[in-house]
Amino acid sequence: MKALWLVLVLLALVALAALPWYGSDVLIQFGISTLLLAVLAQGWNIIGGYTGYASFGNSVFYGLGAYGVAIAMVQWNLSFGFGMAFGVVLAVVFAFLLGIPVLRLKGHYFAIATLALAQVMAAIVSNIPLAGQNIGLVLPPLNNDRLFYELSLGLLVLATLTVFWLTRRKFGFGLIAIRENEEGAAVMGVNTTLYKVLAFALSGIFTALAGGIHAYWITFLDPESAFDISLNVKMIIMAVFGGPGTILGPVVGAFVLSAISEVLSSEVTSIAGLFFGVVVVAAVVLMPRGVADVIRRFRSSGWRYFAENIKAHRL
Amino acid sequence: MDLLAQILVNGILLGGLYAVMALGLALVWGVLNIVNLAHGAFIMLGAYLSWHLFTYLGIDPFLGLPITAIVMFGVGYGVQRGLLNLVVRAPMFNTLLITFGLEVVLTYLAQLAFSADFRTINPSYAGSHVAFGPVVIPLARLMAFGIAIVLTVGMWVFLLRTKLGRAIRATAQNLVAARLYGVEPRHLYAMTFGIGIGLAGAAGGLYGTVSQINPYIGATLTAKSFAIAIIGGLDNPLGVLVGGLVLGIIESLTVAYVGATFGDVASFGVLVLVLIVRPSGILGKTA
Amino acid sequence: MSRAMTRFGSALLCAALTAYGLPAFAKDIVLGASVQLTGSSANTGRYYRDAYQFAIDKINEKGGVKVGDKQEKLALKLYDNQSNVNLSVRQYVQLVSQDKVDLLLGPFASNFALADSAISEKYKIPMVQGGGASDQIFSRGFKYIFGTLAPASNYFGSTVEMLTKLDPKPSKVALLYADDAFDVSVAKGTRPLLKKAGLTIAMDERYTSNASDFNSLLSQIKNANVDAVLVAGHETEILNFIRQAKSLAVAPKMYSFTVGVPSADFRKALGKDADYAFGMTAWLPSAKLKDKWFGDAAQFAQDYKAKFGYDPDYHAASGVADVEAIAEAIEAAGSTDHQKVRDAIAKLNFPSLYGTIAFAENGQIDLPQTVIQVQDEKLVPVYDANGFVEKPKYPMPAWNAR
Repeated sequence: MKALWLVLVLLALVALAALPWYGSDVLIQFGISTLLLAVLAQGWNIIGGYTGYASFGNSVFYGLGAYGVAIAMVQWNLSFGFGMAFGVVLAVVFAFLLGIPVLRLKGHYFAIATLALAQVMAAIVSNIPLAGQNIGLVLPPLNNDRLFYELSLGLLVLATLTVFWLTRRKFGFGLIAIRENEEGAAVMGVNTTLYKVLAFALSGIFTALAGGIHAYWITFLDPESAFDISLNVKMIIMAVFGGPGTILGPVVGAFVLSAISEVLSSEVTSIAGLFFGVVVVAAVVLMPRGVADVIRRFRSSGWRYFAENIKAHRL
Repeated sequence: MDLLAQILVNGILLGGLYAVMALGLALVWGVLNIVNLAHGAFIMLGAYLSWHLFTYLGIDPFLGLPITAIVMFGVGYGVQRGLLNLVVRAPMFNTLLITFGLEVVLTYLAQLAFSADFRTINPSYAGSHVAFGPVVIPLARLMAFGIAIVLTVGMWVFLLRTKLGRAIRATAQNLVAARLYGVEPRHLYAMTFGIGIGLAGAAGGLYGTVSQINPYIGATLTAKSFAIAIIGGLDNPLGVLVGGLVLGIIESLTVAYVGATFGDVASFGVLVLVLIVRPSGILGKTA
Repeated sequence: MSRAMTRFGSALLCAALTAYGLPAFAKDIVLGASVQLTGSSANTGRYYRDAYQFAIDKINEKGGVKVGDKQEKLALKLYDNQSNVNLSVRQYVQLVSQDKVDLLLGPFASNFALADSAISEKYKIPMVQGGGASDQIFSRGFKYIFGTLAPASNYFGSTVEMLTKLDPKPSKVALLYADDAFDVSVAKGTRPLLKKAGLTIAMDERYTSNASDFNSLLSQIKNANVDAVLVAGHETEILNFIRQAKSLAVAPKMYSFTVGVPSADFRKALGKDADYAFGMTAWLPSAKLKDKWFGDAAQFAQDYKAKFGYDPDYHAASGVADVEAIAEAIEAAGSTDHQKVRDAIAKLNFPSLYGTIAFAENGQIDLPQTVIQVQDEKLVPVYDANGFVEKPKYPMPAWNAR
């Protein structure tokens, strides 16, 4: 059974990797966009899904990664690779500096604190001349979608493998323990502060790398788009929709929701945003544990699964 | 010196307006533990309602506040009863997501219904002012400040001294016990949320007289309201007044003496600081 | 049962075909654009949607565009970028790579044009935009971006000139500007103009875009006793600025704004409070501006209002100019080949309802701005390249003395 699963995943991977050769331009575009969103969802999964700390501040890492690449390439004339490394450094520094005080907060205070951090970062960056202030920066154009596609796919594979590796190590178990019962975990000897900050930093690294790729691909960034809160919510929705705390859940969530959103965006543009809102509301009410859970339980409960969810959570 | 006095007065008046905006959010969050990310969108709807009452029925926005508040109360009651009650016992972060989705939906519906054109509520006295020596006090803001005090104190009295207020707080603190006493929690939750949205609607009516209205003002207003609610503290309804004043004064001073682009850095910076150092807020009890 | 199935089947087929983006007539020349139809810039963005469609319809009415020896019609493929720059960029990529449009029209706003022009440059397709005036757009050495809005740096040019001729002559000026691409460009260009005119810059403040509270800045203006206030910002900000100036009793001798004043619903929202405000426009609906397709600018303004229900301002005229520029260039090049059309656009020089359309070396048009003022709730041209047109109402009285 496990072997069949593995073969399926490998086949899917090969099909995805070969897409730039058989897919249309638009499909490649859509692919890059979706793959990056999947990376973001997977990155969030580490801090939100496994550790149970719902971060609304991942958009900060995303922005830092994007600005790292932009500043390195536009202001200092360095290479893309250097820019990515710079972005990662910024993200890690931020994760440690601000992660430590903010991770002491629980529940919605943590969420709000990270949300506030995102706002502060956007406001600060819009005042920094090196970052182009509020006007932003325009990167040198590179017309090579295949490269961006393969980079994004590679990053997603790396992120997913990292999550997989996590679930097999003490570190991963520690994170889950923190999510289920933080005080208990501490009593059992888990260094909760260190683990939380490491998870935050790890989540940040992948998010920053995705931000860097996106900035170079789109050739433009400004504080508003780099630290966009609704992007953060998107990555959370995708992770939650697919199944938080699972290995492939966020990836599935990202693929499915992106596909639906893209089709709507290109045909009925003004409804696209409305649809997004409605999906969020419906998903939270009907399937708060994600698609993975739906698949698991549907066989036993059938359509009653959704009604049961509502009954379990309503007042 | 005159400039400093004027800047401080500006800040205090701004603080009053901020306090009214955040009052509904703080009530719903502090009492029901529901974090409403759509709060700003409801303020926006209240503003549009006020505008329609003023433009088509000639009702003065300040006199029409009770109407706006009651209608929005109805809206809030419906939203809680029909939608939010479904996720009250889910992990808290589900309400964050669902209210975010609600915010998106409300903004789009408003854009479809009212178009993107901006509107202003312009009663004849909206531009007048009262002068105290060298300090000029815009009349509309002064009235909003007065209303802020009335509403905040009123909310404090309601929650801490009336039977209904105590019932609401009791239900939120212990659902099972409340049920045993025959309280119908679904109704009570809906009433509380309704009151919160009614307050948001009233804030919207005030906002329309001092600024302009368009479907997209919701997000920024929500963010500001959050900052105010947390800085002031959620345990005490008077906290929003404190939070609003602190934020209003800090913003005004920053814009005047540091630079006009640093206003947000100051507001959200203070918020982050409060969260790190004293998460229960200025008037909150330390856990 | 089977009839319903056939109908359903054909509906499905139609949906599938439209989803694949098959154009209605295979031979149309398709112009693609991503414009703000919803979101915070929508109320100006729609001017471009209406202008583009109006111009294309008018040109088609008069026979279309001559390509070599064939007459071909123009068509418009428009996306709504929801006032989101990122989405706008992706939509331009989609227009180029999926919809395979022939040529590009631009979005509204400089920050959008700045980002979107990177796409036209990347794919080497000419884009003519009428919504971005910031000099930054044209200072990158890009070859495929053209703009019909006059340079941002010179927006206050004729205003500053006028200031030196007013009596009593203003000496202290406050310069306020939002922190986006266009307004920063305006401020950068205005500073040397003010210095050259011998005016003192008493306040030079950059503020956050979409700010709603100007009380602090207004208090500082009052305290510094400035004579003239120049504001480079967005309509919603300027609306707030004027209302709050009234409620704080701040009345400098004059104030001038980069946007808002030319647009009818801005003046309507303020009512009498809009009086005395100065603005500028590079276009007025004058019968002196003759046009091959619309007759003249005055006729155009009438027809536009009849069709859309609101008066066109320079944004709409600029949008029409973009379409006309592309049409003229295709005819001059005799083809829709990207490189040929691009070169033809660069060499254009023809009269239109917008004025003379000719692009400088860097791709931007250069037109002088006419200073306008709201007098008794009507828009009056006051000062242009040849001096005073009408008498300006100056100085502005205190608010309670109006």
